[in-house]
Amino acid sequence: MAEITDATPRRASTSTMVEGSPLERWLIRVRAYFRKEINELRRQPMLILSLIGGPLLVLVLFGASFVNSNPVLRTVIVVPEGGIPGFSEQDIRNLVGLNFTIEEFTSDPERADMLLRAGDVDVVQVLPQDVVGAAARGERPQILVRSNAINPMVEGWVQYLGYVEVNEINKALLRQQAATAQQEATTIRVKVVDTRGQLGELEGTLTGARRAEIQQNVAELRPLLAGLEARLPSDGALADGTGLGELRAGIGRANNGLAAVEAALSEDAVQARVDQIANAAAELERVEGLLETFTNTEPDLIVSPIEQRYENIRGGAYQAVIYYAPGVLALLIQHTAITLGALALVRERMMGAFEVFRVAPVNMIQLLLGKYLGYTIFIALAAALLFGGLRLLGVPLLGSLWEFAALVVLLILASLGVGFLISAVSKTDSQAIQLAMISLLLSIFFSGFFIALESFARPALAVSFSLPMTHGVAGFQALMLRGISPEWWVWVGLSLIAVITFGLVVFLTGRQLKQA
Amino acid sequence: MRGVLCPAVRREVSVTTATQRNVIESNDVNLVFGPGAGVFNQSYVLPEGTIMGMIGPSGCGKTTTVRLALGLFAPQNGLLNVLGRKPAVFRPLDREQIGYIPQQFVLYPNLTVEENAEFVASLYGMRRARIKQRMEELLAFVDLTDARKRLGSQLSGGMQRRLMLAGALMHDPALLFADEPTAGIDPVLRGRFWEFFRKLRDEGRTLFVTTQVVSEAVYCDFVAVMRKGRLLAIDTPHGLKKRALGGEIIHMTLEDPARLKEAAAVLERYEPVKKVLRVPGSDTELHVLVEDAGEWLPEVLNILENPDGPAIVVASAEELPVSYDDVFIRIMEQSEQEAPDGRDN
Repeated sequence: MAEITDATPRRASTSTMVEGSPLERWLIRVRAYFRKEINELRRQPMLILSLIGGPLLVLVLFGASFVNSNPVLRTVIVVPEGGIPGFSEQDIRNLVGLNFTIEEFTSDPERADMLLRAGDVDVVQVLPQDVVGAAARGERPQILVRSNAINPMVEGWVQYLGYVEVNEINKALLRQQAATAQQEATTIRVKVVDTRGQLGELEGTLTGARRAEIQQNVAELRPLLAGLEARLPSDGALADGTGLGELRAGIGRANNGLAAVEAALSEDAVQARVDQIANAAAELERVEGLLETFTNTEPDLIVSPIEQRYENIRGGAYQAVIYYAPGVLALLIQHTAITLGALALVRERMMGAFEVFRVAPVNMIQLLLGKYLGYTIFIALAAALLFGGLRLLGVPLLGSLWEFAALVVLLILASLGVGFLISAVSKTDSQAIQLAMISLLLSIFFSGFFIALESFARPALAVSFSLPMTHGVAGFQALMLRGISPEWWVWVGLSLIAVITFGLVVFLTGRQLKQA
Repeated sequence: MRGVLCPAVRREVSVTTATQRNVIESNDVNLVFGPGAGVFNQSYVLPEGTIMGMIGPSGCGKTTTVRLALGLFAPQNGLLNVLGRKPAVFRPLDREQIGYIPQQFVLYPNLTVEENAEFVASLYGMRRARIKQRMEELLAFVDLTDARKRLGSQLSGGMQRRLMLAGALMHDPALLFADEPTAGIDPVLRGRFWEFFRKLRDEGRTLFVTTQVVSEAVYCDFVAVMRKGRLLAIDTPHGLKKRALGGEIIHMTLEDPARLKEAAAVLERYEPVKKVLRVPGSDTELHVLVEDAGEWLPEVLNILENPDGPAIVVASAEELPVSYDDVFIRIMEQSEQEAPDGRDN
C-alpha cells in the first residue's frame, strides 16, 4: 500500500478560548451542569408551585377536614320483637352508639341483611332475646356482629369495637346485678342485726313463744342469705379493700352457724350448744359489717375495681395534621428528588446529549456532581419554603435547626441517588417515571408514614430501611415533634443509601457513556 | 507535495501543499458491526485548514467514520490519528480542540439561545468573561443575536442548526466535525451554512462535514464518496468529476450534420482525445472526452476547422457542465462494476 503522507503529524495549536488551571476548568465543567439544571428548573413555575403549594394545600385540607381516625360504622340494630327486658332503646343507644353509628332499629333480620349486602350499612348487630334472664340462668347469650367489610383495617375495627361494646354491656349487666344485690343486702342486713340480737337472748330464759319467734327468724334469714350469695356478681371489690369472695364466704359461714342454731332450737339443746350459738352470733356480726361495706360500695367499683388513668408526659398528642406534617415533608423531598433524578440521565441519553458529553472534555463525575448540586439546592429551597408554610400551620421544630438542615440535605442526596439509579437502569423516560411511582408506593406503605414499621414482618424491614423516606420520617418526627436528635440509624442509613447509589450510578452511567 | 489515497481505485491524487499538516490520518481502519455493517479499509488524510466533505447515502458509514475520529468508537484494526493522537486516548486538552455538531438537535428546549451556548462553552472549561465576549461574535456570525433570549423550544429548525454551530464553535476549536448539518433545511440556509464553513476554513480551521446532498460537494476542498462502509473515492471536487468521467467533456455542435461522422473519425485519430460520442437524438452534436477541456478545446477546434485539413465548421464548443449528482451516480456505477458480486465488506 502506498505511503499516505511523509509529513509528521503535529497537533493543532491550543484553543485560545480555554484558559485557566486544570482545576479551574474542572470546576467550570461542574458549574456548567449545575447552572444548566437550575436554569431548566426555574423555567418550570408549575413544577415549583406543585412542589411547594401542592403539599401545603393538601395539609391544610387535611387539617380542616380530618375529624377522627376511627372509621364511621353505619349500623342496624336487630332487636327481638317486644324489645329486651331490662334495656330500653335509649339504653341500647347509649351502649352501642359509643362506637357504632346507629342508623336504624329493626326486628326484621332479613331487612338488616339486605341493607348490609347493598352496602347501605356497614354493620348489623343482632341482639339476644333476654340478656339479663339468660345471664341469670348461667347461659352465655351472644350478640352477633356482622359486617361486609372489604378493608382489612375496617374489619379489624369492627371486631375490636364489637369486643369493646360487649365488654361494656357485660359491665352494665354486672353493675345492674350488683345494684340489685345491694338493695337486697340492705334489707337482709336489718334482719341480720335483729337475728344477732335474738341469738343473745337464747343464753337466758325465754318463753316458748319467744323461742319459736327466734326460730322463725332464723329460718327466714337462712334462705335470704343463700339467695343473696347466689345473686352476688361472681367477683368484685369492696370499698374497704376486701372482695365479694369474702362476703360470700362470710355469708356461707353465717348460714352454717344459723343452721346449727336452728338445729339446737329444734332439738331443744340450746344450753348444750351455747358455744355454737355464740359462734353464729359472731359470724352474723361479721356478715353485718361486710353487708354494710357492700351496700356502701359503688357498683362501678365492685364490677370494675381497676380504673385506667392516662397521662401524656408531653401534655397531649399533636393534632393529626401536625403529626403527619414531618412525613409529608419527607415524602415531598424524596419524591421530588427521585423524580428529578430519574429523568436526569435518561432524558440526556435519549436526546443524544451523552454523545456531546463524550466528545467534550468532561467526565461522569463532573456531570453527576453538577446535577446533584443543582437538584440539591433546588429541592432544599423548595423544602425550606414548604417548611416555612408548615410553621405557619403550627408545625413545630423542637430540635436543632442545624441538625434539621443536615437531615434535609442528607435525605435529598440519598433520594437523588435512588432517582439517578432509576435513571441509569431505565431505557425510556416513561419507564423512569413508572419506577419513580413504584418507589412512591413503596414509601407510602413501607416507610412508617401511615403504617408503623413494627407492623411488618422482619424481612420486609429490609425494604423499609432501603427507602430514604423511612429514615426521613423517623428523623423529622424526632427533630420536629419530639425535640430530640434522630437515632444513629437514621444518619447511617441515609449516608449508606447516598454512597451506594452514587457508586452504582457512576459505574452504570460510565458504562453507558462509553457506549454512547 | 502529499497525496490522498483513494482506496477504491488505488491512485494518489495531489491535494495538499508542503506547508499543510494532516489533522486526520486514517490508514486501513476497520470497524465491523456485522455482515455489511461498519467501515472497511478506510484510508484517508485530512490536511489542516481544509474542508473535507463526506458524501454518501444514509447508512453508508459516514457517522461511524466521524465517531471513529472523535474517539466514540475504537477501530478494530488499522491506524487512526487525529491531531497527532489516537482518539481512544484523547486527553481533555485534545478534546478542547475539537468541535462537534451531531446529527440530532441536542440543545435544551428550556434554555435560551445564550444559555445553551454558554452550557456547551462551559463544558470546555471556558471562563464566563470569555464566553460573553465569544458569544457576541458567534451569535452575530450565525445571525442569532436578536434571538439570544429565545428558548430553544421556540427556535425554527434552521435556527436550531445555527445554534448548534455556534455552540460547537464557542471554544474556538481547531477541528470541527459536522454530521449532516444541512439535513432537512432549505437550500437558502444550506448555502449560508456552507458560507459559514468556508469562512471558518479561511480562518484556518479544519472541517470534516458529512452530507447526503451531493451538490454540496462543490463547497468542499476534498470530497470523499462512501458507499456501504467503503470509501469509493477521495479527491477535490474537480478531480472527482474527472475521475468519474475519465476526463472532461467538450460539448460540440457542428454546422453541417452531414459531416458529423467525418468529424468523429478525425477526432478519434487525435491522441489527446480519449473518446468521441454522438449525442443521442442529435445529428450535429458530439461529446469529446479529453483530460482537460480548458487545455484541449482550442486544439480540438483547430484540428476540425483547419482549412488545410477537414475544414469542418463548428457552430459551438464548450466544456460540458456535469452535475455532481451525475458524478456521484457514475462513481456508484463504477463501484458496482468493480465489485459485481456485491462484495462490500
